Amino acid sequence: MPESARGMPIIDCDVHNRFKDRQLSALWPYLPRAYQEDVREWGITLPSAGYLNGGDRGYRADAWPREGFAGSDLDLMREQLLDAYNVEYAILLGQELRPLGTLPNADFAAALARAYNDYLIEQWLAADPRLRGAMLIATQDVPQAVKEIERVGRHPAIVEVLVSNGARLPYGNRYYHPIFEVCEALGLPFTLHTGSEGVGINGQPSLAGYGSYYIENRQVRPQGYMTHLASLIFEGAFERFPKLRVVFVEGGYAWLAPFLWRLDADWRGLRHQTPWVQRPPSEYVWEHVRFTSQPLEEPEHPSHLLEVFKWNRAERTLMFSSDYPHWDFDSPTDAFPRMPEELRRRIFYDTARELYGLPPRTAPAPGLSRSAAADGA
Amino acid sequence: MPRCVVGTVSELPPGTRKIVVVGGRSIGVFNIRGRFYALRNRCPHQGAPLCLGKIKGTTLPGKPYEYVYGRDQEIIRCPWHGWEFEIATGRTYFNPHRMRVKTYDVTVERPESDDVTLETFEVTTEGELVILHA
Repeated sequence: MPESARGMPIIDCDVHNRFKDRQLSALWPYLPRAYQEDVREWGITLPSAGYLNGGDRGYRADAWPREGFAGSDLDLMREQLLDAYNVEYAILLGQELRPLGTLPNADFAAALARAYNDYLIEQWLAADPRLRGAMLIATQDVPQAVKEIERVGRHPAIVEVLVSNGARLPYGNRYYHPIFEVCEALGLPFTLHTGSEGVGINGQPSLAGYGSYYIENRQVRPQGYMTHLASLIFEGAFERFPKLRVVFVEGGYAWLAPFLWRLDADWRGLRHQTPWVQRPPSEYVWEHVRFTSQPLEEPEHPSHLLEVFKWNRAERTLMFSSDYPHWDFDSPTDAFPRMPEELRRRIFYDTARELYGLPPRTAPAPGLSRSAAADGA
Repeated sequence: MPRCVVGTVSELPPGTRKIVVVGGRSIGVFNIRGRFYALRNRCPHQGAPLCLGKIKGTTLPGKPYEYVYGRDQEIIRCPWHGWEFEIATGRTYFNPHRMRVKTYDVTVERPESDDVTLETFEVTTEGELVILHA
């Protein structure tokens, strides 16, 4: 057992499960017959913006199993992540099908979402009690997305509803509100993951279009997240849906407080234009919005990050994520600066457990020693 | 508290204001529907001449996408950054418990000197004076 596994249990809020092959053949049986015929002939035609990625084809060079793609082998995921870092829960956010919101064909996109969700539940979530899943929806057709959330959102291992940062409309827009209504009713956070910016039918990745290189494309993430966050606040989504929770995954964290300073200041003079926004914008964020940590900003002095954590109320808003098995993986033991134990526990465990309603599995039961409780879990 | 005669009631009809300087401080005196109020003419945000702002109502807090206009003539909007203040209380409309501008008492009184009293008696209340207690 590695040294770190003896540390406190952690929750990893962004882990990527992949298909073994490029054809996603394991998905096919979950598609309706007509689409099976299409994908046999054409493949699953998801568009791309055409950027490179980093690492070894986007992944840690050591995370490739003997056969198949990185992230497709649960044994290796156990060895490199779940067991190695005492991960009590890992939330799977998929990979290949997250861009289904980029497809022009709303019905095919919705069918892919249904197929993926069934595949996720049967092939992954059933395989290890530490795994939890983010279900996909296709936002091209909101009524079908709502139906899909009602269909699988009650599954105990499904913990959130997932879309991409890239979108056709900012996510606070009333177009999406029926989705929020069902998310709220089922207690599922509405979660955004970086990706699909400027791809397919989505809007341009930045106001000036496309950067030439992948490293530029990574920097549109906070731009998109700022757009979506302002939209959610000023369209009154948190007023309409007071129990709605939103998670921003892999889009940076240090930008948050300066952005909120700006929103709060502007709101004082512009409140009358959106009078339903009844509290300073930052207050909606503290209550309703959470952020995952990876890729954690790396300032010149680590102590600067601790200052940012204070600004951002990290004890409430920040949740650890590793992004395993991607190349820009953040190590649970080495990515963060030294910080107080209580704050560390909030970031690595408590906030995610509260948000997703995850029962503690390795906490000692009354009268049992820690190891006895862990053995019984 | 020093008394300062701002002018006669007839010089400050409802909906108007007058800026006076008392003891080196600029103060705005307002007639809102026949009642008089006074605010320090300095926005607590960045020092703008607050009392030169527009006297308005505002949109009331409510449900998303619903605009309800109310508080007509009760709000002054700072001429610089648009912060809204309640003229009656000096409190900011967006966060009434955290930021406010100083208010002063204003009274309407009959003139005190015998001569003026005699005249006032004859010309009804138009000669009443607006007194700022600053």
